[in-house]
Amino acid sequence: MENNPPEHIVAKFDKNLDKIKSVILDMGALVGTQIKDATALWFAFDEAEAARIRALDLQVNGMNSEVYARAEVLIVRRQPVALDLRETLAPINIASELERIGDHAKTLAKRAFLYTDERPAKEFFDLIAQMSNDVQQMLIDVLLAYSNSDIDAAARVREKDTAIDDAHKKMLRMVIAALSEGRNSEDLTTELVHMVLNSRNLERVGDHIVNIARFVNQIVEGHDLKATD
Amino acid sequence: MVDSIISSRDVNIFYADKQAIFGVDMDILPNKVTAFIGPSGCGKSTFLRAINRMNDLIPICYMEGCMTIGGQDIYAPEVDVVALRAQVGMVFQKPNPFPKSIFENVAYGLRIHKMAAAKSEMDDRVEWSLKSAGLWDEVHDRLDQPGNSLSGGQQQRLCIARAIAIEPKVILMDEPCSALDPIATAVVEDLIDQLRREFTIIIVTHSMQQAARISQRTAFFHLGNLVEFNDTKTIFTNPVDERTQNYITGRIG
Repeated sequence: MENNPPEHIVAKFDKNLDKIKSVILDMGALVGTQIKDATALWFAFDEAEAARIRALDLQVNGMNSEVYARAEVLIVRRQPVALDLRETLAPINIASELERIGDHAKTLAKRAFLYTDERPAKEFFDLIAQMSNDVQQMLIDVLLAYSNSDIDAAARVREKDTAIDDAHKKMLRMVIAALSEGRNSEDLTTELVHMVLNSRNLERVGDHIVNIARFVNQIVEGHDLKATD
Repeated sequence: MVDSIISSRDVNIFYADKQAIFGVDMDILPNKVTAFIGPSGCGKSTFLRAINRMNDLIPICYMEGCMTIGGQDIYAPEVDVVALRAQVGMVFQKPNPFPKSIFENVAYGLRIHKMAAAKSEMDDRVEWSLKSAGLWDEVHDRLDQPGNSLSGGQQQRLCIARAIAIEPKVILMDEPCSALDPIATAVVEDLIDQLRREFTIIIVTHSMQQAARISQRTAFFHLGNLVEFNDTKTIFTNPVDERTQNYITGRIG
């Protein structure tokens, strides 16, 4: 259910709020691409590409600062209340969640060099690729939910996180089973352990997306699901 | 649950054949600041003035319904309007000191209500009122000077001192800071917060921020209806009615 309040009498007020929203959407798109590209590195490692993905971190952090600065100016100029205040404050938190997602993408890119020689079985990579695709879709969905102030869509995003959590647990079981066989080389053992860390990174990305979905609720309904749900 | 000090039940107010207030039920709690907000012409000042029967002064204005203060129907035939207004003081938008000395401005009400017999008692009450209004330190050495020689903010505090001198239960304020600069406004707002310990205050204001800053309860009026009456925090963070939200956020509703 989309929720669109009427326009402000002062048109600039709407423009100021829309600008904050568009920075969040751009930032979300950027970290989504970061995850996609970092995942691709595990299948075909490229040092230059890994460096580029890591370097995006600066851009993401800059966008985080921009959201804060725009919210600050909007508060000074417009003294927002009620829905407007939530639409001003929530993006500060949402940007912070996106920034953390960017950090996870950076870590995933950093770790990709491990998988250049001897590689764990395809099933591990399939699971990671599935998790990565799922969180990318969740991210798109949560950004749409935020953009449309759609709490039903936000609720569906929160539900999807269970699949990510289950996939992470599955990865843990698969790695434990592989390590238990005791026939792995040192390199392969390291790679398997890092598979769990990768999966953990993606599982955390899912949690940050869930937090964003909660903020969509907070904006629309005015209460914090994290404190009540 | 604290009992309300002022209650209105199905109050309708008319100016000749034009209805200005539609069936307002409201319970105002003692020792709180209650803010009335709403666009111009929404009826908030009309409703405020019904609380001390100031609307009686407008020949075409009449009221239906029930308004009680401390359980007493203030529109009952036996009610002495002068005595009622001693219980329900009022401070207006523009400071309006009498063309008298600072001392006499405060002493005036005490004299007509015969609330101070001896001179020493009068002096004490004037001093208490000026101190309560946060004005004593600024005027104690020039009490004989005209009230209108003071600055705008001081004049408004003098009017507040005049209102509280006779120790009303309720003080009505109709945009008391709209003619004041931000510093004088801050002083009056701080004063309002102090005064609520002893009095019940109802303030009409066009400043959302002021209502949010100084009141504990806020009533939103629109087209003569009481749309929403709630804790100020709720009104300004998560109002229930869409009309309230559109008004306080400056949206075209």
